[in-house]
Amino acid sequence: MRAPRPVLAVATVAVVFLTLPVIGLAQRTPWSSLGDLLGRQSVVQPLVLSLTVSVAAALVIVVLGTPLAWTLARVDIPGRRIIRALVLLPMVLPPVVGGTALLFALGRRGLVGQWLDRWFGLTLPFTTAGAVVAAVFVALPFYVIAVEGALESGSDELEQMAGTLGAGPLQVLRRITLPRLLPAMGAGVALAWARALGEFGATITFAGNLPGRTQTLPLATFLALESDPEEAIALSLVMLTVSLAVLIPMRDRWLPGRRPSR
Amino acid sequence: MVVAALLLPVLACTGPDSDSLTVFAASSLTDVLPALADAYKAETGIAVTAVYGGSNHLTGQLRDGAPADVFLTADARLLGRLETRGETVDFATNHLVVAVPAGNPAAVTGASDLARADLRVVVCAETVPCGAATARMGIVIEADSREISVRAVLSRLALGEADAGVVYATDVAAEPGVELAWPQPEACPCVVYAAAAITDRARSFIGFLTSPTAQETLALHGFSIGAPG
Repeated sequence: MRAPRPVLAVATVAVVFLTLPVIGLAQRTPWSSLGDLLGRQSVVQPLVLSLTVSVAAALVIVVLGTPLAWTLARVDIPGRRIIRALVLLPMVLPPVVGGTALLFALGRRGLVGQWLDRWFGLTLPFTTAGAVVAAVFVALPFYVIAVEGALESGSDELEQMAGTLGAGPLQVLRRITLPRLLPAMGAGVALAWARALGEFGATITFAGNLPGRTQTLPLATFLALESDPEEAIALSLVMLTVSLAVLIPMRDRWLPGRRPSR
Repeated sequence: MVVAALLLPVLACTGPDSDSLTVFAASSLTDVLPALADAYKAETGIAVTAVYGGSNHLTGQLRDGAPADVFLTADARLLGRLETRGETVDFATNHLVVAVPAGNPAAVTGASDLARADLRVVVCAETVPCGAATARMGIVIEADSREISVRAVLSRLALGEADAGVVYATDVAAEPGVELAWPQPEACPCVVYAAAAITDRARSFIGFLTSPTAQETLALHGFSIGAPG
């Protein structure tokens, strides 16, 4: 379809607006000393931690989010709208508020956290597990929304047919629903993972900041900006590269229900 | 788009307001600055809008052109990176203490406890003045988190997430959920607060900070006044 010129013009402005900061970052990059910067322990350590935390968060998100998305899309539960709004809340909540709320819930003196501490000696703040919890909290809705969208836009005729042919509900789920859902799950995981990788506010408020334990790439970048801007730029480039490497292959799978093209 | 292009300059640049000053202040001044601002307004009729943050962070913002009239920093060396007007003035000092949540639940009784692995100890990151001063204390600390401002350390203690932390004496005085781990005398390493004018019209506020009224307010909030010591 040929787009009207004004539409194209505005779209171009939007693209320039979104890419300009990246270009700004690139032109301030000390390319000649980049190799040296990237080899530093203060860059490698947060990178490894960030990958660990974001991948762990992505796994938890798939395990928790898939049944949740399916329930929201297919089961007629009372108050579904309210439940959905609650599930999506972390997308609009300022992450710092999310982190504080996590403290009140899962911190050492939190609603549930005090019992975790008393019964199991388990405390989440200041641990890598705490950083994973913060990442799951902010990123889970991105996965749920992608998977739920795909479930709602696709019809459930095949499932019903399989049911009439004698397949049990679990069999239908395993043989029909899940295989058809894989592309949407892939897109949802990529989005959620990217959000987890960039997570800052909830992590620093809930999990704290300790190199090697809770200091992820965004935290290390924030602190480096004040002491060593060149290192901060190197850290940002690492995040940028890792994110693009994952997001570019996703192509058109962002939109639920749409088939990949081009 | 045209509308947006016309609006942007208006939104991006709110011009100086003659009856108000914007003060960028080290986060450890959070409790005292409102009182100082009230006294200043009573004297001059000029209102003060305060912006708090880590001194380094604020320095970065000022270098990038943040609209401030006054900078109150916990590290005078940072002023070397800025263009300031007139003399800078040292107007108060503060010193570090080891603090615990009220009731001292983990029974912290001495500096050696900060090296205990079973205690959750929180300090400032070394990039902020309180963290740099903490490093100069010369005690071994097994930190579980290095926070980006002294207020963050204080909140960890007040919420009971940390068993011990290093904060300013004034923070302990202001926060009822936190107490001294053991009696600690005023001792350095300490932090000297310096005030600098970023704009010319801010100079009267700089002068005000060393006036008897301001110094009395600072002392009331637990700051040491006069020569650092």
